[in-house]
Amino acid sequence: MAGVSMKDIKIRIRSMESTKQITKAMEMVATSQLRHAQEKVTRSRPYFETLYETVTEIAATNKGYSSEYFTQRQVKQVCYVVIAGDRGLAGGYNHNILKLVAQELAGKQAQVLPIGKKALEYCHQHDIPIVTDAYAQAADVSVGDCFTMAKDLAKAFRQGTFDEVYVGYTNFASILVQTPCTMKLLPLAQSLKAKSSSGQGLRLYEPGVETVLQAIIPEYLGGLIYGALCESVASELGARRTAMDAATKNAEEMIADLNLKYNRARQGAITQEITEIVAGAEE
Amino acid sequence: MATFHLQIVTPDGQIFDGQAESVTVPTIDGAVTILARHIDYLSALGMGEAKIERDGQMRRGACIGGMVSVTQGEVKVVATTFEWAEEIDQERAERALAKAKEALTHRDTMTEQELILAEAKLKRALVRTSIAKLR
Repeated sequence: MAGVSMKDIKIRIRSMESTKQITKAMEMVATSQLRHAQEKVTRSRPYFETLYETVTEIAATNKGYSSEYFTQRQVKQVCYVVIAGDRGLAGGYNHNILKLVAQELAGKQAQVLPIGKKALEYCHQHDIPIVTDAYAQAADVSVGDCFTMAKDLAKAFRQGTFDEVYVGYTNFASILVQTPCTMKLLPLAQSLKAKSSSGQGLRLYEPGVETVLQAIIPEYLGGLIYGALCESVASELGARRTAMDAATKNAEEMIADLNLKYNRARQGAITQEITEIVAGAEE
Repeated sequence: MATFHLQIVTPDGQIFDGQAESVTVPTIDGAVTILARHIDYLSALGMGEAKIERDGQMRRGACIGGMVSVTQGEVKVVATTFEWAEEIDQERAERALAKAKEALTHRDTMTEQELILAEAKLKRALVRTSIAKLR
């Protein structure tokens, strides 16, 4: 028999088949969860867009008043909210977002607020100081958690613990395309859309600018973090689905290849046997 | 009556998108009613009842947190949660209320953070039950 024995090939085929079953199951789970996650993203998008538009417009039109949320300070300490997955086997999902964040963190005095087990593990491995490890399970983080987180971040920003706050997440462009990106949360960019349509900033704030901003900014942060989380969760599932789909296809290919080898080995064995019989009869 | 474009959005989706004659929302400074042609306006939302009027019909809802803005006649209510009165599950709301009250009986053993959370829960439950009763 040539090379590997038939039995060895059979064992390998069997192991490939069970791997294929697992990847297939994971793909199917990811697909069904993805549908929910995608719905959540599309449902919540109007909220974030409105929230974002309104707050940036306030920041742009509001020239007479300067809140600490708008003030650019000298950057000593930055905070990154990093959203990654809880589990691996999602293609480049975790790697991509963590790589991007690592690039941006380079040379900065930074703390990270990790969301998701992979983000937390990454911080531990690279000795990056973390704000809290309360959100280690991305799947368990609720809207309420996002608002609590935002309140704490806004407070820390006001007190000067952080001079800038960013969020790093994965944008869910489509089922096949997910792009990691970072967004600046605080301070609010005042120059953005500086030439807004209304321009004059004649807006009535009740009961007062300070009070309104004080109440709205944590809401705004919470909303954006929650939005980023929704996007990230959908991205993770999308990435996992694609990765598992590819893995299943590879497994199928390998099984086909091994089957061919197996048949060849079997044929070889039969031929050899016949040759032996024939050689025996001729004598 | 003159109408204006009103949009109510929450993280759970768009609740309302259309014309309205008046909208009343609970701001942190008390209830405010906005009619058409209002000046550009911004306020943060508290907790309470929201009312939307159109063609003599009124819809009520429980509105908690967020903000309300008027920009060139467009009114946007960006709420953390918003539920129409008819969609509130009264039994569930009552249960949540009872649970929140129960939780607050152990207030001396709670940390400050827990107390804040429990009180917020109670407030939310009160808002929802009172609005569910109104319909």
